[in-house]
Amino acid sequence: MASADVPFRPEFLTHVERLPTHEREGRLFWKLRIRESRSHLKHLFTHSRMRTSLVISLSIFFWAGLFALFYMGFSFVVSNVGPPGATYHAQTVQFVFTLFFMSLQVMLVFSAGIILYGGLYASNETTLLLTLPVRDSRLVFYRFQEALFFSSWGFFLLASPMMIAYGLVVKAPWYYYAYLPGLMISFAYIPCAVGAIACLLLISRVPHLRRIIVGAIALVVVAIAYSSIWHTLDIDNADLLGTAWFKQTFRRFEFTRGEWLPSTWLSNGLLDSARRQTSDMGDLPWLQSGKYLVVLVSNALFLHVVLLWVGGLVYRDSYYGLNSREAREARAGMVWIDRFFEKLMFLLPRETQLLIIKDIRLFRRDPVQWSQFIIFFGLLMLYFANIDRFRQHRADLSIMTWVNIVSFLNLAVVGLILSTFTTRFIYPLISLEGRRFWILGRLPIERDTILWGKFLFAACGSWVPCAVLVLASDVLLDVSLVVIVIHQFISVLLCIGLSGMAVGLGAIMPDFREQSPSKIAAGFGGTLNLVLSAIYILLVVLMTALPCHFYLLTSDADLQSQLGQPQNLKLWVALGLAGVLLLAALVTIIPLRSGLKAFRNLEV
Amino acid sequence: MICFEDVTRSYGHRVAVDKLNLTLGKGELLALLGHNGAGKTTSIKMLVGLLKPSAGRVRVGPYVVSENPRETSRLIGYVPDQPFLYEKLSGREFLEFVAELYGLSPNEVRNAVDRETERFQLGPFLNRLTESYSHGMRQRTVFAAALIHQPEVLVVDEPMVGLDPQSIRLVKDLLRAYADSGRTVLMSTHTLTIAEEICDRVAVMKSSQLVFSGPMAELRQLIPETDGHLESLYLALTKD
Repeated sequence: MASADVPFRPEFLTHVERLPTHEREGRLFWKLRIRESRSHLKHLFTHSRMRTSLVISLSIFFWAGLFALFYMGFSFVVSNVGPPGATYHAQTVQFVFTLFFMSLQVMLVFSAGIILYGGLYASNETTLLLTLPVRDSRLVFYRFQEALFFSSWGFFLLASPMMIAYGLVVKAPWYYYAYLPGLMISFAYIPCAVGAIACLLLISRVPHLRRIIVGAIALVVVAIAYSSIWHTLDIDNADLLGTAWFKQTFRRFEFTRGEWLPSTWLSNGLLDSARRQTSDMGDLPWLQSGKYLVVLVSNALFLHVVLLWVGGLVYRDSYYGLNSREAREARAGMVWIDRFFEKLMFLLPRETQLLIIKDIRLFRRDPVQWSQFIIFFGLLMLYFANIDRFRQHRADLSIMTWVNIVSFLNLAVVGLILSTFTTRFIYPLISLEGRRFWILGRLPIERDTILWGKFLFAACGSWVPCAVLVLASDVLLDVSLVVIVIHQFISVLLCIGLSGMAVGLGAIMPDFREQSPSKIAAGFGGTLNLVLSAIYILLVVLMTALPCHFYLLTSDADLQSQLGQPQNLKLWVALGLAGVLLLAALVTIIPLRSGLKAFRNLEV
Repeated sequence: MICFEDVTRSYGHRVAVDKLNLTLGKGELLALLGHNGAGKTTSIKMLVGLLKPSAGRVRVGPYVVSENPRETSRLIGYVPDQPFLYEKLSGREFLEFVAELYGLSPNEVRNAVDRETERFQLGPFLNRLTESYSHGMRQRTVFAAALIHQPEVLVVDEPMVGLDPQSIRLVKDLLRAYADSGRTVLMSTHTLTIAEEICDRVAVMKSSQLVFSGPMAELRQLIPETDGHLESLYLALTKD
């Protein structure tokens, strides 16, 4: 609205009239994306070849593994439940599909909303674009495209092997594969758009309650999921996988098959397109599934229009609202935690204590660091809480064998998560000291003390959660005391080895220019640390799991003759443990020694 | 050309800008001065459309900023204190993107990029990705982007931070010449000597309020007991 009291000057109108049209604006942003993507890809294939190859190889490996798993699973269904067209087959596959897509649908709503929030309200790029003549709806759509991509790539990685495996197992006709991309893309678009619209409305209406509302909804979803899983597994052994159990479970998850859910449209669309035409001339599977495709596409397009409309309507005001809140004073509270740790470290030199306390403070005041840790470990606890079914079958030797294998696999999983933690948070520690080196470097302390401080912080800090998780897994699986002791011993070695490697490599290959820990971790050194950590974990677990496994099997008299005498196997267990100890010493000492040497000679 | 009319901006209970009335005409170069937290950056953010006034309105030319953000952004060139550049674009690609968003035709884009490249001596690094730029190179590129559409109003937040003497000279000359060409320049700064050297007027904010706005001579008359330099005048004016 031009105000009336200022004389209007035509040159302004000329400038404004020449601003790009909607279409041209859209083309400009596509051009921007293409240029950026080209630069990114060029950089990946020239400067980060190792990381790129690793990511591509692991993705292919992961995809192939999932494909094999789903292929076997669907083959099992076909051979044991019924071929396509049979009632139980349709019910079973529909149950699996709707549950799977419903879960992903909920995740897509959350992830798209959260990613869009970061893009629209906490991004420097958005701040720049808000000062340029860009339409608000365009800005929202531009950011939404990123949210859509980053939240749905996991869906495509998980769902595509499943869909293709199902199509191959049931020998689906050609239109199954023709419909597949359309069904998947339009399905992914719907929950992402819903999450985006919810995000815009939430920030627009109740910006101060955004975290509480999202947290509360997430808790409700987790509670429903947990309760459903718990009730499904909490039945007598005799009924497990029986007809009554199946019917009861099928009924319990009825909420996942609501007719108004996009996940149901996708499942029905897939099931219809995968089946062959019956003798009934009026039964046209391609048409039935085509209708579901049309429903999905039209809903996706409708939500696209709604998103642009809501974005244009509320985005800028919601941005203003969010940025007009009173800044909360960041207080240096909870000092008792530091005092507690200080007392625990009474044996260490004072300088080391101070350096470790500083790292603890930085860690606990950065929610990005510990929240990821808590999410990972919370999910693991949820999984461990659901594995105690094995306890009911202790008398069965085959089950006992599984118990041992699973307990060691759990140990490996905890180790692998720990390795991502050491790569993401411990490895960048030295690089992040770059800008602060003017103060650390001038303090009257040995540089070695700085590195030792980081090593102790990492090793001790990771040992407690690691030991607790492994103990929880062992107790819930009801493994023997010997296994518990061995697992705890390995936990200590894993923490020491992974921390030594991360601190050592971090000091050998510091990146003082980069201030983002995630970018430092994603570089060559971080990738190398992750790969070496994974190899170390696999070696440690294999070297102890195999002898232990065979030793425990020999408690069965029949197997003693095949596997050898327990005394011999005891020796193998001891040798395995000694080997692991030696390996842990090597992966701790070698990187740390080189790291110390590099750090002493460091010039910043 | 710029008009703050009774503008107030609060963050919760805290008032960041309190009833600001300030006008800038064509061909004027004004330095906005004040302690940290006095309300300078908040005022600038309202001017460029990053914040909405709690009360009052900000106008640029015929437009009210909060009601016509797209139109006003066409009239403004903005150099923020912490500028953003696309790391994976070259300086040239960034300038082209900004110019095209302002609606310049391909021919005009080419000419504008060449003009700003020459003005800010971007030639040696213009085709490199901006991720490899030094602070000075980044700042010069951001200036070029802000001027690519030859805006009626140039808004600059702390322009001299981190610049080498040559670049400071370049920016000082540019700001003065831009105002002399009939455009309006609003600069927020702590560098009082530069403000004194190139500005037509100074505006001083203290504790969210505008305590002075006028030419240096007027300020000297207001506080005659100092040595007449802006530094002494400013310190005397903002003393508690």
